[in-house]
Amino acid sequence: MNGIVKQFHKQFPQYKHTKVVVDWIPWTNRTTDWTNALSSGKGGPDITELGNTDTPGVAAEGALANITSEVKTWKSGSDIIAGNLANDTVSGNNYAVPWFGGVRGIWYRKDQFAAAGITSTPATWAELVTDAKKLMAKYPGTYGLGAPSDYTNAIVSFIWGAGGQVAVQKGGKWVAELNTPQSEAGIKFYSDLLLTDHVSPSKYIGETELGAPGATSGGSDEDFAKGTLDMYIDGPWAESSLEAVSTKYQSDWASFPIPSQNGPNPAPAFAGGSDLGVWAKSPNKTASWDLVSVMDSPSNATTFANLQGFFPEFTTALSGGKYSGSAVMSGFAKAAAYTQISPLNSKNWATADATDAIIPTMMKSLMEGASFTATVNKANSELQNVLNTGSES
Amino acid sequence: MAETIAQLHGTPAASRGTRAGAFVRRHRLAPYLLLVPALGGLALVYLWPLVQMLLYSFQNYGLPQVTGAAPVQWVGFGNFSSTFADSEFWLSLRITVIFAGVVVPLTLVVGTLVGLLLNRLGPRMSGFVAITALLAWATPPVAGSVLFYWLFNPDGGLVDWTLSKMPHWLVGSTNWAGYNWTTTGALQAYTVLTVLVVWTSFPFIAVSVLAGLKTVPAELYEAARIDGASPWRVFWRITYPLLKPIFLVLLLLSVIWDFNIFTQTYLLVGGLANRNEFNLGLYIYDKGFTFPPSYGLGGALAIIFTLILLVITVGYVRTSVRQGALT
Repeated sequence: MNGIVKQFHKQFPQYKHTKVVVDWIPWTNRTTDWTNALSSGKGGPDITELGNTDTPGVAAEGALANITSEVKTWKSGSDIIAGNLANDTVSGNNYAVPWFGGVRGIWYRKDQFAAAGITSTPATWAELVTDAKKLMAKYPGTYGLGAPSDYTNAIVSFIWGAGGQVAVQKGGKWVAELNTPQSEAGIKFYSDLLLTDHVSPSKYIGETELGAPGATSGGSDEDFAKGTLDMYIDGPWAESSLEAVSTKYQSDWASFPIPSQNGPNPAPAFAGGSDLGVWAKSPNKTASWDLVSVMDSPSNATTFANLQGFFPEFTTALSGGKYSGSAVMSGFAKAAAYTQISPLNSKNWATADATDAIIPTMMKSLMEGASFTATVNKANSELQNVLNTGSES
Repeated sequence: MAETIAQLHGTPAASRGTRAGAFVRRHRLAPYLLLVPALGGLALVYLWPLVQMLLYSFQNYGLPQVTGAAPVQWVGFGNFSSTFADSEFWLSLRITVIFAGVVVPLTLVVGTLVGLLLNRLGPRMSGFVAITALLAWATPPVAGSVLFYWLFNPDGGLVDWTLSKMPHWLVGSTNWAGYNWTTTGALQAYTVLTVLVVWTSFPFIAVSVLAGLKTVPAELYEAARIDGASPWRVFWRITYPLLKPIFLVLLLLSVIWDFNIFTQTYLLVGGLANRNEFNLGLYIYDKGFTFPPSYGLGGALAIIFTLILLVITVGYVRTSVRQGALT
């Protein structure tokens, strides 16, 4: 960040005495901090990083400045992945710009795969389960593939991977599609990883991929790093937290995309990532945008993304085979070619997923043995209700 | 110093003060005047927010309304009707009521038994037991919850480890070593919470009962013993009737406390993610304050919660007044 501030001072001499204060906040505190800043009118930032699923909702709350005209004249704007820029618009106005992105895939260990006689990474669900069982047979006491119930961003890949949708827009209204046969196949496959295949431990019920919500230890990430979980679903950014647990198996870590039901292409991965937005109440909006343009220049954004295990949002930076060479990144790079966001970028998604936790609650009930059809139908009607609350997105 | 005070007494201001004093005395206003500062403070920090909350509960008040991005709209009873239509509200209410229904009697029974024990022990032992028990009571809820979180942790928690070392015929064939108590279901989570809450709240009951027991004349027990009454009979014929007012207050307080359990639940069930393990407190917090917050809905829920507690409180106060226990 220091280098970026230097560039900012050089590129915009009028700000050469402007001090830039960077406040690193824990990711899970971000919405609380925004809420406090908005409701008190104090302590708000000039610029904030946002999760790309946060942006439409936060913009709808009136928190972000409208930067439509700035983005139009932004010279790097044309190179940015168009769909991701479109994600940051609400009713035709731009409220943020994509900063870096990432997709989830499945982490595995090359040594374990070789020892269990698995020669190629699984490309279908059947292969995925077979391989998980092979690994468990070879490594008794471990589990094959972690399936935490509170993990919407991975569960959607299984819904999409069977050709289903979470919800689609028809005539300006959201229609929830969790109970179509395709979506149900994906939901059932995920819950069966625990229920019938027994490749995931029951302790992940009610947990996120990082453990009990709010806790900082005891999750599937830790188990993978310790070697008690053979395959683990997460993005490349997990590497730093895996390293913090144990580097014992690091040289064997590798990744492959989440398979689709019948292959050969991977399931669409949720295109996660972060945006940069200018705070609506900021007194320095012009300066803020100027700084955003420096932070999010193709070279700076790419450096920052690589540093953290993310992908840049610029098409030119993504092409060129730089990522396919690394064992950890190559699987994720493959997954990055098949992505989807909708409906995780709809205005009410925060309410559906954070406040009401519709998909996590559904998955948890299923893993606890609730009736399949009734549970999915209930989640489906709740989802449709929430997505259509208020004005159209 | 003495000179200054003497001078002050001589000033005309003092005679005005005397006249005001006479007015206060004539109308017997002194008690009310003494209450004014406290009431003023309460009105400022409690009544005014309460009025605000009442107003919000009939509005769609959220962040856009705070920032001025959207106008405030009156929604009538909309916040209330949507709450009553939400199955999760009824689930969290049921969990709250069942939890209180289990924890309150348990706390009272354990507390009373320990209180009776303390009364029989010699001074040194009684002091030792009382201090040990009160340490549990003095444990802050956060520290207690973290302690229990580790005890019941699926990755090497002491309870899980102990259960996994026990023979199967005793504890069943569950895989106890990796058993997740806190997020896999309401029954498991509230079992842990019951132990935690009973552990931290029985000492208060015990000490209160002990204080009550000290007021019971020893002759009564002596007479009962001479007549050959069993301890069970002594308790129900002598101790319980005499301590009834104390038991009523303790019962009422326990019900209110156990309805209000929030910290421990929040920490043990994993924040706001496990919705089928919500009690009313978590439900209200989730609806009112998770992003995007809905202060209107939160206000309506707080009012519903307050009314439920009021019904319980008023019910008990009425019966106890009728029985003459509190007069």
